[in-house]
Amino acid sequence: MVPTNTKNFDTLVVGGGIAGLQTALDLGDQGYSVAVVEKDASIGGKMIRLSKVFPTLDCASCITTPKMSAVAHHENITLFTYCTLNSLDHDNSGEDSGNKFPGINAPGVKATGLKALITQNPRYVDPIKCIGCRQCEYVCPVHVPDMEQGGLSATKVICIPFSNAIPQLPMMDIENCMLCGQCEKACPTNAIDYFQKPERFIITAKTAVITTGFDLLPVRDNVQYGNAKIPNVIDSLQMERLLAPHGPYNRVLRPSDGMEPDSIAYVQCAGSRDKSTGVSYCSRVCCMYAIKQAMLLSGSLPLADIIIYYMDIRAFGKGYEQFYQNAKAMGIEFIKAKVARIDEGENGQAQVRYELQDGSGIATADHDLVILSMGMIPAWNPGAICPVSKDSDKFITSIKPKISPVLTDMEGVFVAGAAAGPKDIVDTITESGCAAMEAAKFMSKRLVEN
Amino acid sequence: MKTINTDKDRDRDKEAKKAAMKELRGVRKNLIAAASATMKLQRKELAAIKAFLKAEAATIPQIAAAIDMPTDKTLWYMATLKKYGQIIEAQKEGAFFKYALNEADNPPKKAEA
Amino acid sequence: MSEMSSDKTTKTDRVGVYICYCGGNISDHVDVEAVRNRVEKMPGVAVARTEMFMCSDPGQEMIIEDLKSGKIDRVVVASCAPSLHETTFRDAIKRAGSNPFIYEHANIREQVSWVHHGDTATNKATVLIASATAKAKRLKPLDPIRVEAKKHTTIIGGGVAGIKTALDIAQTGIEVTLIEKSGILGGQLNHLDRLAPSGEKASDILQEFLDQIVNYKNITIHTNCIIENVTGYVGNFRLDVVTKSDNKKFNIDTGAIVMATGSVSYTPYDGEYGFGRHEQVIVLKDLIHILKENKSSGSVLEVNGKPIKNMVMIHCVGSRQIPGIHKPKENGKLNEYCSRTCCAAMLNASNQIRENFPGTGIYEMYRDIRTYGRGQEALYTQASKNKVVFMRYEADALPEITPSPLPDYPLQVKIKDSLTFNEEMDVPVDLVVLATGIEPDDVSGLASMMKLPIGTDQFLLEVHPKLRPVEFPITGVFLAGTCQAPMDAGEACNAAGAAAVKASALLRKGYIELDPFVAQVDIDKCQGHGACVEACLKEGALELIETTIEGKIHKKARVTAALCLGCGACAAVCPEKAIDINGWALKQYEDMVDAIVSDGFAV
Repeated sequence: MVPTNTKNFDTLVVGGGIAGLQTALDLGDQGYSVAVVEKDASIGGKMIRLSKVFPTLDCASCITTPKMSAVAHHENITLFTYCTLNSLDHDNSGEDSGNKFPGINAPGVKATGLKALITQNPRYVDPIKCIGCRQCEYVCPVHVPDMEQGGLSATKVICIPFSNAIPQLPMMDIENCMLCGQCEKACPTNAIDYFQKPERFIITAKTAVITTGFDLLPVRDNVQYGNAKIPNVIDSLQMERLLAPHGPYNRVLRPSDGMEPDSIAYVQCAGSRDKSTGVSYCSRVCCMYAIKQAMLLSGSLPLADIIIYYMDIRAFGKGYEQFYQNAKAMGIEFIKAKVARIDEGENGQAQVRYELQDGSGIATADHDLVILSMGMIPAWNPGAICPVSKDSDKFITSIKPKISPVLTDMEGVFVAGAAAGPKDIVDTITESGCAAMEAAKFMSKRLVEN
Repeated sequence: MKTINTDKDRDRDKEAKKAAMKELRGVRKNLIAAASATMKLQRKELAAIKAFLKAEAATIPQIAAAIDMPTDKTLWYMATLKKYGQIIEAQKEGAFFKYALNEADNPPKKAEA
Repeated sequence: MSEMSSDKTTKTDRVGVYICYCGGNISDHVDVEAVRNRVEKMPGVAVARTEMFMCSDPGQEMIIEDLKSGKIDRVVVASCAPSLHETTFRDAIKRAGSNPFIYEHANIREQVSWVHHGDTATNKATVLIASATAKAKRLKPLDPIRVEAKKHTTIIGGGVAGIKTALDIAQTGIEVTLIEKSGILGGQLNHLDRLAPSGEKASDILQEFLDQIVNYKNITIHTNCIIENVTGYVGNFRLDVVTKSDNKKFNIDTGAIVMATGSVSYTPYDGEYGFGRHEQVIVLKDLIHILKENKSSGSVLEVNGKPIKNMVMIHCVGSRQIPGIHKPKENGKLNEYCSRTCCAAMLNASNQIRENFPGTGIYEMYRDIRTYGRGQEALYTQASKNKVVFMRYEADALPEITPSPLPDYPLQVKIKDSLTFNEEMDVPVDLVVLATGIEPDDVSGLASMMKLPIGTDQFLLEVHPKLRPVEFPITGVFLAGTCQAPMDAGEACNAAGAAAVKASALLRKGYIELDPFVAQVDIDKCQGHGACVEACLKEGALELIETTIEGKIHKKARVTAALCLGCGACAAVCPEKAIDINGWALKQYEDMVDAIVSDGFAV
């Protein structure tokens, strides 16, 4: 199928997490038209899935939802969710540059805009007809692990991903659908469409900002931490869900049997600063989120022992060191040690074997719940999709890290947030503002030069 | 341009849809078989949990022992039943919470995420 | 104002009340459904609804539908602090085609669920909503105040953040003036050499910026200048500036101001780690200068002609200070924060020395190594490869510097090393380098002139680190760079870009809309007493003017809306009740108090 459907924008933002949202808002507010392309069914990225955020302990939803909503309603911003970016490159087709650079289509002026090929993946729901009532979800008889809750509870084959998702559209997981037709019967607006097909379209833009974010190293690949086979050893994003007020259990319980944990341990630098996992760099946010989670835990489980095994505490941002010292004063125990391995212990406990940094040797301890602060890796690999360069750390290369860290080696293409290396939310939001500024500058400069 | 749907038209559309669904079922045959099997098992297991809870509220290990199900799987089901408003959290017993059937048992508008 | 006379025309009975669960933040402590049931019965409430997250799309849609269907004509949302979401809900109301100022906020999170529990919380939430509803009934549709904005921005501070902000804003077609108090641009970059982690020369980076800015057509640069006063308001600020050299005074009229006032290096007090007592104790900035100037080759680093066989680098000097352990400076303040940049800078210097002068041994004494940034961990790994010896001290056992008993060394450093069984060790050295932290430049004068908040850490304080990280509560004033917090050059440039984008968006249209919560004079009632003018807190906001009515000259009060703070000091003193605050009228306060004391709701 040859896509003929072309949409023109000033800027294409790839990724609708907090970096993409902030970039889009800052460009939209300047009067530029912006397309945000997001792979997930909802915008909001990792941040909307968090519990509370350091060092202010604001709830993540309280900060993210208004930005999501502002983007969704912005007159200059268009959202494309549940979409795959197939390619992004300079448009050298020699076609008429259309209205990309109004007034500069003089002979001899080459159009140097960007062209992206995108696929809208089918939700099997008509987005125009759907009113988001969730009747389809309630009647669907098949349960599947809810990955929005770290797999710790179930959702249905057709569901809205989470309560404050934008857009409020359900999607169907056809791999697990038995085509029983119950959702279609329940839908008050005839919005279910079992025959929906992927649709391809083109976005052309003068500039693009890559805000594709991060993922955690998967625990299942890590033999020393039990390959995700020990139920009470979870990663930090799963812990965020346990701490979120609307999480899988609505409280912190250990996943093996629902017991309220009495001893909880954090393993820092799990896969970070560790060449053997391919992540030799520091993941930058783990110290702070572990401290934050520990503080939240000591609030909800005041009698529990909370231990953080660490090498260096990297509390470098504004207000972070004070946050760390508060955590120490609250009685959270910090042990300078490198965790060597974790095994299944007795009564559902996990046995942590660690090497003390003072040279006094190896020790073991049993905990009800162990949280792995897994290293951060890029969520997107430009690979064959886009000719932008990546560094040895596999994040997008920043060609002028001191003058403007958002510049990439592709003209008109910028990067912000964790796509350019692990970053906390504060630094991400600031960097996104800078990316929006550089994109705006690039476009106004172009107009002047031509 | 067609302005009025006659009964005939409607019947014809219905037939066409039926045929298309049949074809789709054929294409997805294996997926549907697997999903149906999953659904049947889930229905049985969920029914077992609910039947046990009819008598009294119980903790995850108690339910798991009674219906011979691993505790982590029991918790997974309980979290789900709670999400869709079919059970509620009851009092605490030691380090465990008990769960009870929700008398109202209707999917609340305010389900969690 | 006839509309003030009759209750019927000014009070509505179609208030919609929307109560937020805040995903448990509120509903864990407040029985939200019970509150809703009580609120529903309150007089004037047309609908009362609840939602998991009112700020989410489904929540906002609820309000919009009710407004569009005509069920309601005033809105009360009970949720978090208005600072977070007031604008969110006003925008939603605007999208429904209604006036955004028919909105009132009840804070039942910070003021209720985060501080009370159980029945107390549920009752207080009810009372706050009752009072907000009472006020909402008297809300009038208002129009925002539109002020002309000068398309001009003034950047205060000519360091890397200031330069980058200036260049970025100028590129969007807005005029920029850059004011620098010293004689040269570049700030702290002038004192640096090879920047961590990738080794770019600070002078090259600075030159690249200077080449762009010096001849930039939209940018005026004033060096050696001091700002004596700042007056005006967003879009129309005026700066009184004086030149240091010849005391020449001039004004700058500007639409927005960016604070990029930067930072200074911490100066150790006399005797801190032997500083000022032993010439062999220097700060990192000195070492960087030495390395920059050093032309010597050979296997051992020489400082002041003396070979350095062994040197110690002490981290966290003037940073991460802990009350009760560290000694405060004369002002009684401790720098409790981490200075962020020193770890990488120290490792960078150590690697340079070890790679060029292998005969110089280095001991790094640290608390935590914070090589967080991209490429920084590699510096740490490289330092280990370069055989830099790392020793770790605790905050309660700081290293001590004393004269060495060994004839070959002037000093020794005593440390309890937590990497080797907490053993006490003496390290003989020729040189001690202190990693002194970052302190904000003292801008208390400017800050008090413009009423800019300063945090407990002495840095300038933004509105919110995630929602509005480069803005002050004073509209039209922004901040960028190390006046806000320690940052490296790249981070300061990111902040500069972010500040520039906000300033350009603000001034882009040439006008700015401000909230209309300002004083309004009832001309008929005003007798020209002038008590309001005397009470007014903001110079120029309120004045008496002469006006001719039916051939007679009368004195009447007049409000300059853009300057008015909306504080209500005028309304409090007017004997005729002829002046009131739009959106915060006296009658509204009375109704709110009535609602609070009427007590009937919260049982």
